[in-house]
Amino acid sequence: MKQLICIAFFFLLFYSGFSQQKFTINGTIKDASNGEALIGVTVFISEIKSGATTNEYGFYAITLSTATYSISYSYVGFQLVSKKIDLNKDTQLNIELLPETEQLQEVVVQAEIEQANVQNLEMSTNKLEIKTILRLPTLFGESDVLRSLQLLPGVSTVGEGASGFNVRGGSVGQNLILLDEAPVYNSSHLFGFFSVFNPDAVKDTKLYKGAIPSRYGGRLASILDVRMKEGNSKKFEVTGGIGSVFSRLAVEGPLIKDKASFIIAVRRSYIDVLARPFVQLLKDGGALNFYDLTMKTNYNINRKNRVYLSGYFGRDNFKFDKTQGFNWGNSTATARWNHLFNERLFSNLTLVYSKYDYALQFGKDDRNRFSWNSSITNFILRPQFTYFINSKNELNFGGDATYYTFAPANAVGVTNGKSVDISLDKKYNLETALHIGNSQKLTNAFSIEYGLRFSNFQSMGPGTSYSYNDTIPGIRKSVIGAKTYASGEAIVSYRNLEPRLSFKVQGNETSSVKGSYNRMVQYLHLISNTTASNPLDVWNPSSNNIKPQIADQFTLGYFKDIGEARKYEFSVEGYLRYTQNQLDYIDGADLLINRYLEGDLLSGRGRAYGLETYFQKKTGRLTGWVSYTLGRTELKVDGINRGEWYETRYNQTHNLKIAAFYDINSRWSVSGNFIYTSGTPTTFPTSRYIQQGILIPYNVNESRNNVHLKSYHRLDISFRLEGKKVKNGKERRNTDYWVFSLYNVYGRRNPFSIYFSQNDIRVPAGQPLQSQATQLSIIGSVIPSISYNFKF
Amino acid sequence: MKNIRRIWNGILLAAILFSCEDKISPTLERAAPVLVVDAWLNNKPGFQTIILTQTQTYFDNTNPPAVSGAVVTVIDDQGTIFPFPENDRTPGDYVWKPLSNEVFGTIGNRYTLTIKVNGETFESRSYMGRVPVIDSITFDKQKRISSKDSITRAEFWATDPVGHGDAYWIRSYKNGVLLNKPREINVAYDAGFSAGGETDGVTFITPIRRGINSNDQNSRGNNVSPFHVGDSVNVQIHSITHAAFNYLNEVKIQTDRPGGFQELFSTPLANVSTNISNTKTNGTTALGFFNVAAVSSAGKRFKK
Repeated sequence: MKQLICIAFFFLLFYSGFSQQKFTINGTIKDASNGEALIGVTVFISEIKSGATTNEYGFYAITLSTATYSISYSYVGFQLVSKKIDLNKDTQLNIELLPETEQLQEVVVQAEIEQANVQNLEMSTNKLEIKTILRLPTLFGESDVLRSLQLLPGVSTVGEGASGFNVRGGSVGQNLILLDEAPVYNSSHLFGFFSVFNPDAVKDTKLYKGAIPSRYGGRLASILDVRMKEGNSKKFEVTGGIGSVFSRLAVEGPLIKDKASFIIAVRRSYIDVLARPFVQLLKDGGALNFYDLTMKTNYNINRKNRVYLSGYFGRDNFKFDKTQGFNWGNSTATARWNHLFNERLFSNLTLVYSKYDYALQFGKDDRNRFSWNSSITNFILRPQFTYFINSKNELNFGGDATYYTFAPANAVGVTNGKSVDISLDKKYNLETALHIGNSQKLTNAFSIEYGLRFSNFQSMGPGTSYSYNDTIPGIRKSVIGAKTYASGEAIVSYRNLEPRLSFKVQGNETSSVKGSYNRMVQYLHLISNTTASNPLDVWNPSSNNIKPQIADQFTLGYFKDIGEARKYEFSVEGYLRYTQNQLDYIDGADLLINRYLEGDLLSGRGRAYGLETYFQKKTGRLTGWVSYTLGRTELKVDGINRGEWYETRYNQTHNLKIAAFYDINSRWSVSGNFIYTSGTPTTFPTSRYIQQGILIPYNVNESRNNVHLKSYHRLDISFRLEGKKVKNGKERRNTDYWVFSLYNVYGRRNPFSIYFSQNDIRVPAGQPLQSQATQLSIIGSVIPSISYNFKF
Repeated sequence: MKNIRRIWNGILLAAILFSCEDKISPTLERAAPVLVVDAWLNNKPGFQTIILTQTQTYFDNTNPPAVSGAVVTVIDDQGTIFPFPENDRTPGDYVWKPLSNEVFGTIGNRYTLTIKVNGETFESRSYMGRVPVIDSITFDKQKRISSKDSITRAEFWATDPVGHGDAYWIRSYKNGVLLNKPREINVAYDAGFSAGGETDGVTFITPIRRGINSNDQNSRGNNVSPFHVGDSVNVQIHSITHAAFNYLNEVKIQTDRPGGFQELFSTPLANVSTNISNTKTNGTTALGFFNVAAVSSAGKRFKK
């Protein structure tokens, strides 16, 4: 099988041959206003009715036979640039695109050759521009990347305040979140109300839900690729904002004009400062705040070399009083070197450091205290190459090596003066992958992308592996053996081939059909059995007892552009995903600081399927989209729900989202979004019984997720007022705007959960206990907010 | 680290302002009643009672129906038989009455419970483990920085005996009333929270020592001081089996639902385990638990 794939691969690759004299046009495309590289710009050559798109660094290359060509560069929100070129030698064409003027009313879209969704080979991806994110209505007036993402088809969440997101029925831990290629293990601030990405420093976000290129791997459900701004290389700029939860400030500018630039962006919450007079805890010396710092710099050494350095540091602090509390945060650093070997071979070498850690302290004196910290650290080396073979083939290949150190618990308790070390062993792992993929245009109508990723995961000593007995599923397993390993010795290793395949059939200029198959393998597991994941959730590597998760996904979609100048875009996509080795937990599982954690884990299968429809209006005074997803996601685990299929906690049958933006006049604009989703499943008891005076709920059918909460719907609106452009007859140097938003306009109490409990009042002996059901809404009223944003 | 949920307690800030809770009465699936055995026996002087009831529908807020006419016996591994005849006046209560100063059970012995009811036989096994003495009880009065009142908490001091695998249920009484809200379930494995904790042979860890305080709130939702001058506390350490330790942890997870922001981090509703089994493999199920405990106790009054 493997051989067959290889043969097919090389056959396809060289099928197109190298006959005529050929030359390459390449270059980098930038935003003329600030020098930022533009990702995904369409480069179209009319003579061959084909072209290219710029990569993550704004680079493109096309190899063509000698002739005269007209090339156009187009990108949403920018003015089209056309060039005519006599190609008789390798040519570099670096282009700067001018943004469209912000007076949208007179924008008449030219006969733009938008190579939007329809002509692109990509499917199951969604791009969210930072401009769009900044215009969406917000919670507490703060724009947020992950909250905005939830308006896209196929993306859902268990509820307000829950961290992370679910893609096509995958769990929160099945998304790979990359910030400038560095994995972010916990993407939320304040438990989940905000994400770690500072919108002032983000350039572009792209979510891959399916048809995932071979260069990505490591998670089953999705890849969220967040790219940071490089910093304005033309002029100094300060942007910032004052909101009700936090304030932001970003400084960017050239270090050497057009050659080197930087950006530094900071945020700090001050809700604790504002709430101090009202909240007992804060008056008693407690704290609740978060901050983050995002920075990046780059240097354009010469035509062939460019380096980037970026980093993130953020932390959430929570203190119960002066000495007790906990904190958590991510830190990442990414160094990248773009190198052009020749006109057609582009390479990038990335080095990444990423760490997530948390720490807790309890106890008021040295004789009785408890401290615990946990971390996951990794170093990544990632060489990537793109070979622009010709106008029909683009070959991507490279490798990945990640070294992980897991410190599940460094924990020391002191009880009555005696210290007890309950730390768990560190775990060392190496994940490597080689990948190759080619996107190939077979005919004008038919294109395919085929690739293969070969991944390898190894768990290494020093360490101990445990073996467990077999029990009735659902009962805690006991250790029956332990084996220790020396430093560097392999404890267990896994290898997997991950084929990736996608195709596009172009019906006509405005419609296409695309399909894909891909296999994804995930070697790290987010251990969490709570409704929403929380900062203390531990990532656990695959081991002799925990097998890597595997997913096979099939997708099929239809894409259509409608209207003049392709004003509207419509797509419908179906997906089907089978997963293996999905984790669940025994009832009463003990997931934290548990040496024998693996004895509390259960393993099963999953399936998710659905249909996503998406309709977008891209231009005009009114823009926006409607997204509707019909889906289902289920698990089957021995020991849960009598061993039958059950819906996951984040299953949503219907998921409708509408986002709309309207420009009222040159200063006022309004945006709104509406969300309707089916209620997520939950478990209700059937009966109650009493044991030692405690009321215990019981489900006689042993069901999991047997009922659904009420449906969720919400409308948010925000108004944006641009500051005056002219003051006292002079044009203002700085720009500013106000945002007034209303979150949950009609104040619906959307249920987050329903829980069953006994009444908290003490009952005299002999009197019956009172049972009750309570529905909780995390947000049960309209939330107004104001923020002020500026740039100078 | 099962009690980690405690740390979410105070973290309400963002949610406190906007969240809301409503009492609701959803329709539940119908269910046939199931036999429930409440058999927590100990070596304290006096009667020992096993209660047999049936499950009720969840919102049936009456006392559970008693199960009468059962034959209940406990036998130890020395061959001693302890009969539990049904009490005439309180049906469903099966009571063992000691002769003179006799107490129930001996540390180190194993016990088998047999219940014959409606033509079926249920069995369960337990073991009476050892229990450490309580050295002392102290009171700790803390002033709140911001308000005039102070909070007084009690703390007991005892040391887990050397040797892995002891488990305890610490039960406390305030002014003679047992504190048994779900939140007040206080169990220990050796001197700590769990088997993996390596806390053998040391003084019980702080949260367990202080887990003997009542958890009550006033009408404004603020915690009230567990003790005031004149209040008394009585602490009892009951030895429990590992199965009972797991069981009580599960009970706590399923019943301690403070709501609010903590719901974000709650685990799914699931049935707690039982150690009562039908002797016939295809027989009906029973719920509840059988444990035989040795008890050590101490008491103190808060004077000033």
